[in-house]
Amino acid sequence: MRSILDRYAPAPAFDEFAGDDGRPRAHYEALAATLEGITSSDFRHRVTRINDVLLRRGVTFTVYSDARGTERILPFDLIPRIVPAGDWDLIARGIAQRVLALNAFLNDVYGEARALRDGIVPRELVYSSPHYEREAIDVRPPRGVYVHVSGIDLVRDADGTFLVLEDNVRTPSGISYVLENRDVLKRSFPRLFEGYDPLPVDDYPRRLRDALLASAPAHVADPVIALLTPGIYNSAYFEHTLLARRMGVELVEGSDLFVRDNTVYAKTTRGPQRIDVIYRRVDDDFIDPLYFRADSGLGVPGLFDAYRAGNVTLANAVGTGVADDKAIYMYVPAMIRYYLGEEPVLENVPTYDCSVGAQRSHVLANLEELVVKRTSASGGYGMLIGPMSTAAQRDEFADAIRAKPREFIAQPVVTLSAHPTVVEDGLAPRHVDLRPFALLAGDRVDVPPAALTRVALVEGSLVVNSSQGGGSKDTWVLGERC
Amino acid sequence: MLSRVAESLYWAARNVERAEDLARLVDVTAARAVDRAVDAESRWQAVYEVAGIGGSDDDVADRLGAIERIVFDGESPFSVAGCIRIARRNAIGVRAELTTEIWECINTLYLFAESQSARAVGLDGVSSFLRAIRESAQAFGGICDATLAHEDTWLFLRIGRFLERAATTARVLRGIEAEAGPHVWQLVLEACCASEPYARARQQSFDPAEALAFLVLSASFPRSVRFCVREVDEALHRLSGAPSGTFANAAERTSGRLASSLAFTGATELCEEGTASAAARIGRELDDLGAAITAAYFPRVPVG
Repeated sequence: MRSILDRYAPAPAFDEFAGDDGRPRAHYEALAATLEGITSSDFRHRVTRINDVLLRRGVTFTVYSDARGTERILPFDLIPRIVPAGDWDLIARGIAQRVLALNAFLNDVYGEARALRDGIVPRELVYSSPHYEREAIDVRPPRGVYVHVSGIDLVRDADGTFLVLEDNVRTPSGISYVLENRDVLKRSFPRLFEGYDPLPVDDYPRRLRDALLASAPAHVADPVIALLTPGIYNSAYFEHTLLARRMGVELVEGSDLFVRDNTVYAKTTRGPQRIDVIYRRVDDDFIDPLYFRADSGLGVPGLFDAYRAGNVTLANAVGTGVADDKAIYMYVPAMIRYYLGEEPVLENVPTYDCSVGAQRSHVLANLEELVVKRTSASGGYGMLIGPMSTAAQRDEFADAIRAKPREFIAQPVVTLSAHPTVVEDGLAPRHVDLRPFALLAGDRVDVPPAALTRVALVEGSLVVNSSQGGGSKDTWVLGERC
Repeated sequence: MLSRVAESLYWAARNVERAEDLARLVDVTAARAVDRAVDAESRWQAVYEVAGIGGSDDDVADRLGAIERIVFDGESPFSVAGCIRIARRNAIGVRAELTTEIWECINTLYLFAESQSARAVGLDGVSSFLRAIRESAQAFGGICDATLAHEDTWLFLRIGRFLERAATTARVLRGIEAEAGPHVWQLVLEACCASEPYARARQQSFDPAEALAFLVLSASFPRSVRFCVREVDEALHRLSGAPSGTFANAAERTSGRLASSLAFTGATELCEEGTASAAARIGRELDDLGAAITAAYFPRVPVG
């Protein structure tokens, strides 16, 4: 019988599993030994069974482009991604540092705006960001925490160096896959864990709850938390239900809440229940129709008044989106030096700002080698990947960049690291990224060892987003012992 | 508990119960209609009325098509598959309130009812399809009882389950003609899962008045109207904390009145009223109870 590993050929990129000599790296040796004894057909059976389990559990996301709102499972790849203790230590330090700097930036940008006066971040970029909220100026959130929850996307270049690809500080999702992937893999394939002792992921909800409680309004003795969801048609609804259940908090929709005397209440069977902390998975634009989008049915009229009066914590705070604008991203290393007086632990991917004349000319002259992204887009939408583009697509982007340069940035193509992944006839390398999540409680950043590995299932593809054919892997962060 | 959540729990439980009851009724009717012991036309007509569909002449002409619609048509709120779809839709909205085991039960039931392989059974396989639905629906009730704290979430599920069950028993009784013979009564008892419990309780020869009294007034049979109403009444009182025999809101007043009226009704009295008219009256009283529960716990405007 052929083992599933027999035909694995490392990728022309940094291969997470195999070293330059083609042999498994030290932290993959035990896994490789286990895989040697497993046949391809055994593997296929397990894939089918696991997909059934995920469907039954309802671990699904909704595909927006589909009129019926079809529920699909995010394809789960059985081969775990392993992060050794040393790498994780670097990642956790880098993420913590970055989140502190982003939070300091938000306090500054909606307060004194020192960094703008000192020329650290260009004023025009901040004020032209679609996620900069004028309403939030001088509204200091409880304990100065803006970025309660963030997901920072990391990639590895050809040398294996970790780089920050983007910051997600509005309503990052994906943690439910981390929790479910681990649970399903442990139950369906316990053999894979032989020789490993990955750090547990299942206390994430408790840590999230602690972080939320830590930033409750100071005058509340016994704060009540609620998770605000846009509702069952949201693509991350499953995640909202999972987190609410595991945290033991109420999952509310906008219409379940009302505001009286600048205080937020839930409509319950025993009358109004005061709510003090809202972990909202609804974007700024939709939280309060009186201040933001008037046509929003997802929000709560008066919620922003209650927030401004200091009677309710919104996590994340209003206006955080300016910090993950893809043009502002360029300046995060400078923020780290400016606010923290430290050198960045994790570097950015080099980035060109199309709103700057010289950089724009360079981008327009080299579209074929660059990745162009819209500054306000996410989810892998609205991108041009130069080497894989047609001349017509490049012309279209060139026109768009000339028309609205502020809306674009460009980056050299990073050949993401690759990882063995189950394909039709065995294992093959597929490109992966890594999204660790960070929780900010007061001035302390908690980076739980619960990170999401997304994998581009299509051969050669560099786009890992679930909406674009990506899947996910269980991610094992190893403790010091291993 | 959020009013929206309470309402969704209530409707989830009502629809699971309805799917179970309808599945049993269709299965029993199909089996009984085959051996011609009863008039198939009028029995199917009674099924249509319990299901809530018109039962036009077309339906009667296309019997097989009608059965398929009552069982499989997931788009219709009146079919077995439709009830399961509605129950799951409600369960999704309260996913955070339900234990994982409850959710997996209802989701698995839905995936089964929607699956091509389950539907491909055709009419010959309808009975086994219906049995699978019935068993999963019963498992749902059992898992709710065994995995939830017996507090508000459980109480709203319980209110929905027993109110729907009482209403079904009343609806089934409404379809019994005054001159109905023992075969029709046997079918009705089976449709309410009461055939064996009734036989045990009454050793004498069959008597329609006693069968009626058993299905409406039994204090111990869990599908009798009286039993179900008492469960609803107890759950309502546990919700508010008001002692039994008193009331804290209009829902409890309605349930309390109905429970005592059923407890103090004699079999003869009920029989004199006539099966169909007594059942119709009880059906209206149960509708009023449903409306009172809605007004007390799921108001459209904020409470207080």
